[in-house]
Amino acid sequence: MKKNICMSLIFILSLLLSACSLKQDVANLYKQEIPLESEIIIPESISVNKNETIKVILTQNGKKVEGADFVHFEIGKQDGSVKFNMEQAEEEGNGRYSLSKNFDSEGLYYIKVHASNAGSIIMPQKQFVIGELSEGEIKFLQKGLPKQQESHQKHH
Amino acid sequence: MKEVNVKATNQNQKQTNSSLYRTIWRWHLYAGIILAPFLFILAVTGSIYLFKPQIEQVIYQDYYEVTPQGEKIAASAQIEHVKNLYPDAIIKKYRPGENTMRSSEVSIASNNESLTVFIDPYTGESIGELNNDDKIMNKIEEIHGELMAGTLGDRIVELAACWAIVLIVTGLYLWFPKKKQGLSGLLYPRLNKGKKILRRDLHAVPAFWVTAGMLFLILTGLPWSGFWGSNFQSIATNSGAGYPPSIWSGDAPTSKIKTKDIAEVPWAAENLDVPLSKIQGYISLSIDDVILIANREGLHPSYTVSIPQDTDGVYTLSAYPPKAQDEVTMHIDQYSGAVLADYRYENYGLIGKMVAWGITLHTGTQFGFINQLVSLLVCLGIILVTVSGFYLWWKRKPEKGMGAPKAPSIKNVKFSLFLLIGLGILFPLVGLSLIVVWLIDWLIIQRIAVVKNFLNA
Repeated sequence: MKKNICMSLIFILSLLLSACSLKQDVANLYKQEIPLESEIIIPESISVNKNETIKVILTQNGKKVEGADFVHFEIGKQDGSVKFNMEQAEEEGNGRYSLSKNFDSEGLYYIKVHASNAGSIIMPQKQFVIGELSEGEIKFLQKGLPKQQESHQKHH
Repeated sequence: MKEVNVKATNQNQKQTNSSLYRTIWRWHLYAGIILAPFLFILAVTGSIYLFKPQIEQVIYQDYYEVTPQGEKIAASAQIEHVKNLYPDAIIKKYRPGENTMRSSEVSIASNNESLTVFIDPYTGESIGELNNDDKIMNKIEEIHGELMAGTLGDRIVELAACWAIVLIVTGLYLWFPKKKQGLSGLLYPRLNKGKKILRRDLHAVPAFWVTAGMLFLILTGLPWSGFWGSNFQSIATNSGAGYPPSIWSGDAPTSKIKTKDIAEVPWAAENLDVPLSKIQGYISLSIDDVILIANREGLHPSYTVSIPQDTDGVYTLSAYPPKAQDEVTMHIDQYSGAVLADYRYENYGLIGKMVAWGITLHTGTQFGFINQLVSLLVCLGIILVTVSGFYLWWKRKPEKGMGAPKAPSIKNVKFSLFLLIGLGILFPLVGLSLIVVWLIDWLIIQRIAVVKNFLNA
């Protein structure tokens, strides 16, 4: 009798202590998305008044995306003083889509790629610099400071 | 009083002499006396919490209601305004508001406090702030869920809920007619058979009527308890039949990006202290883009956006509307805007769906006012039964002693022993409490004559 109680005591305690945790790949058991992935390639240095080519490589489910539903490039200056029209990128094959652009002023730019394929829509954006930044653009960069990082900075 | 008790006992022995009946009566009495206060508290707070939507609509009306005028201001501008008002705050969540008359909400963490700032989306101005700790309904929920005592309280509530199942099972056994007696005293109380009978019927009859509702509230409440619930949810999710991960337990997916590819932000105020090359890189989506994605994907309009707090975090859009079928949890890559996971009610496993329905039925939102009314009746019934049960014992008990029937040796009632061990395994907290009870019995009650006599052990 006592032995039985001891046994059940050990059993219950071990149950109590071994709280269940989730399996690593448990998400595979449920509905899964196949998100489009992108890599935006901007030339190392961009000069003004020269044709520069900006590329994006699209992959989905580990494969390069051929014939995406759409790939549009939206380019402009972060301070809003320059904004190009949204343009369709040209498919180069092997998942690459590109667009040539002539920039006529220095400053802080962004490119936002709007792309869609097989049900996944993405809009990644990358920031890049041509030449030097103006005073206002530096201010803009500093304003975008995430708050939690700012408070960290104060402690150091 | 003692005479009454003796009579009652004699009468009872005529009814059934089995030691099983006495054992079950004994368990029901002790469990009932210990549990009555907890069940009472749960039923009272539950009755109030049921009407949370109506109550909050009244007390926070000034925060909630706005007058539509023109277009709504961009979410990013609303958040910017909050940042200006609370420069040291961390922005946690944004809730756009489910209709044109509803203010938007920005949840922030400021000086270790969680605040909700209400914004008029048409003017962009702050309407006011609420400290989440000050919300009366949060307090009620805290009492209901953990007796305002944190994890310990949570475990106590869970234990009370599990033990309430023991009360229901033993209670039903005691209620079940031993001989043909018609429906009086079973389905309706015997009003003209004297006070003793009436007292018994005022406990047993309503108890029978609320049994199903009470059991339902216990079973639907348990999956969100801290210990049994968490484990239950993990097992269900692991089996593929529960909630998908990240809704109840488990982590959200992460934004797929290498840290070196993210644009850095310069620190210093005057000059640029970061090389230009580091400023180049991917930048997070603005909240306005996230709202666009939400509109595109068709979420229930009551959704909330959780803002990523780390470089690999995601925007999480979630909505828990009144009806379980409208629930949604969606994770969005903060850099690409890709939908990384989109879990709707249809994507829950069978157990997940049942738990989701259980939650909305338990809180009374699934079927609106009728749901609230039925749940309220069950709560009022539980209150009546706890009070009448306590009163019944108080009137019956002898001056000295608890008035419990004599405890037979546990060896003679194998059936209930197995029942208890079974319950102890299914609900480990019950098992643990049984061990504690057994230890107290073995170490104290059986060794001290006064206590032993008092408890009739």
